[in-house]
Amino acid sequence: MTDATSREAIPEPQNPLGIDGIEFVEFATSRPQALGGVLERMGFRPVARHRSREVELYRQGSLNVIVNAQPADVPRTVQPVERPVISAFALRVRDAQAAFRRALELGAWEIPVRAQAMELNIPAIHGVGESLIYFVDRYDEFSIYDIDFRAIPTVDPHPPALAGLHFFGIVQYVGPDRTADWVEFYSRLFGFRKLPEETHFGIMPKGLLLESPCRTFLLQLIEPEDTARFAPMEEHLQRIGLGAPDVPAAVAALEKRGIEFFATERVRSNERGALTKPLVGSVMFELVKSEARR
Amino acid sequence: MIFHDFGMDTASLAGPLEAKLAAIRDAGFSQVMISAADVVAHPAGTAAGIAAVRGSGLEVTGLEALRDFEGLDGAMHAYKVDVAKSMLELCAALGGRLLLVEASASRHASVDAGALGRDLAKLATLAVPLGIRVAFKGQPWSRAARDFRAAADLAMRAESPNLGVAVDAFDVLATGVPLDDLDILDPAQTFLVQLSDYMWQDARTPEEQTAAATHFRVFPAEGAHGELLAQFIARLDSLGYCGNYSFDVYNDDYLQMPPEAVAARARRSAEWLAETVLRRALPVPNLERLRAQPQ
Repeated sequence: MTDATSREAIPEPQNPLGIDGIEFVEFATSRPQALGGVLERMGFRPVARHRSREVELYRQGSLNVIVNAQPADVPRTVQPVERPVISAFALRVRDAQAAFRRALELGAWEIPVRAQAMELNIPAIHGVGESLIYFVDRYDEFSIYDIDFRAIPTVDPHPPALAGLHFFGIVQYVGPDRTADWVEFYSRLFGFRKLPEETHFGIMPKGLLLESPCRTFLLQLIEPEDTARFAPMEEHLQRIGLGAPDVPAAVAALEKRGIEFFATERVRSNERGALTKPLVGSVMFELVKSEARR
Repeated sequence: MIFHDFGMDTASLAGPLEAKLAAIRDAGFSQVMISAADVVAHPAGTAAGIAAVRGSGLEVTGLEALRDFEGLDGAMHAYKVDVAKSMLELCAALGGRLLLVEASASRHASVDAGALGRDLAKLATLAVPLGIRVAFKGQPWSRAARDFRAAADLAMRAESPNLGVAVDAFDVLATGVPLDDLDILDPAQTFLVQLSDYMWQDARTPEEQTAAATHFRVFPAEGAHGELLAQFIARLDSLGYCGNYSFDVYNDDYLQMPPEAVAARARRSAEWLAETVLRRALPVPNLERLRAQPQ
């Protein structure tokens, strides 16, 4: 090390972008009604529609989920098909443009500005597979939805969360031997930190956990195992993890609404967590015991 | 498949892309290093070039080469980032998982190791979402990374798991780098080894080295340095290197010979390597060392 500053160990800022949680997760599907039905059973309510695009906003408590059925016009982004896929997540940051510029400087791929999906005019970069990562800085006094979305009349715009559900994390499937690459990607661009390998939450203990610099949510990187290592696989965002202060109570409430959970020898609901069976073909939600962090 | 560890380079052959790929496949090779110019210069367009590679049945060792990338400022840097992105996208479209980057020879490029490391780290980050590894290769005519030793030093500085080095045997043959220096390599961060021989006994001046590197390379054991190459490979093998070997051969004569004839020469060279060099590295005379590849 011969850098001018190397002798002083000047620390990188702990949270260089001022990340403050996940603003929304977006699904893309050509059957938005089917996915909407599932989201409603999961406790979400449709609260707003995009002014010009086939995009809807579902909400419960602090959770925002966007359902996008608009055909993609940007290369390397999700083209909506019947099977819903997680097509984006949005990070709350202190200054979206500054965060965007810093990410590009460090080697992120930008989304062409004029084509930024949903016309939200919020900056975005390419994430894993065909997914995007947005930077949002308007989430306090007024929100991005106030501008681009029209509220659905007579609907409570802020429906309470079912059983205290809140974002806990996102599970990302990565290719064989690709965990280190993605750890580097998320830590370099956003300041995520690798948690010790023995750290696990919930009932799905595989993979490696990355903690957001704001310490309010996790990314879980999972590589294929055994023979699956040789099967063709696209890397992608696989499922959302939802925190619940009382998992059995949340499971009971959701089962009452028609959501089914895995109950096999290996995967079974307990007080630590639960996993829904695939809904509309592919959508799964994982519940993890967690108090809502503010 | 005895040749599975070895691949040819489309730049070694004359003719249209399809003829090159067919000659390589028919000679018994299962992988090919793709020279970007061969794809984008396809008479029916880049998409046709990509389709030819994907339809060839050959595994893509990697795409070459991004040049003069690191160490630039301002508009020149932004321009090179665009070039790099274009090559990464081409690499992904070809089904390739490795981009070869040759150390900058630009006199506009900084030689500050911190700046070079930052640029390489940025390139590595750009490559992550596409699943591509970046193999950084020293060049005798680069100011900052003349061979694999300096290249490995810069790559390490970037601290990116998907950034490693490509080692060109020519570094050892022509510039007299001691074989012992190969021990500095981390086999896990050595992503590609390129092999070539040349006819001259030695190339002492930089001018001779440049001429040999760019016009007079031949396949291993065709030239005057077979024994040294054998030692070079045995050394890498004992270090634990188990990646691919690519024939990095540029030769004006080969470019006016039928590609089938050149590919046949490459086959003889691969046979010599597999039978002579790699078997020698084995404790028992079988082919277990040649990795079973996922099909």
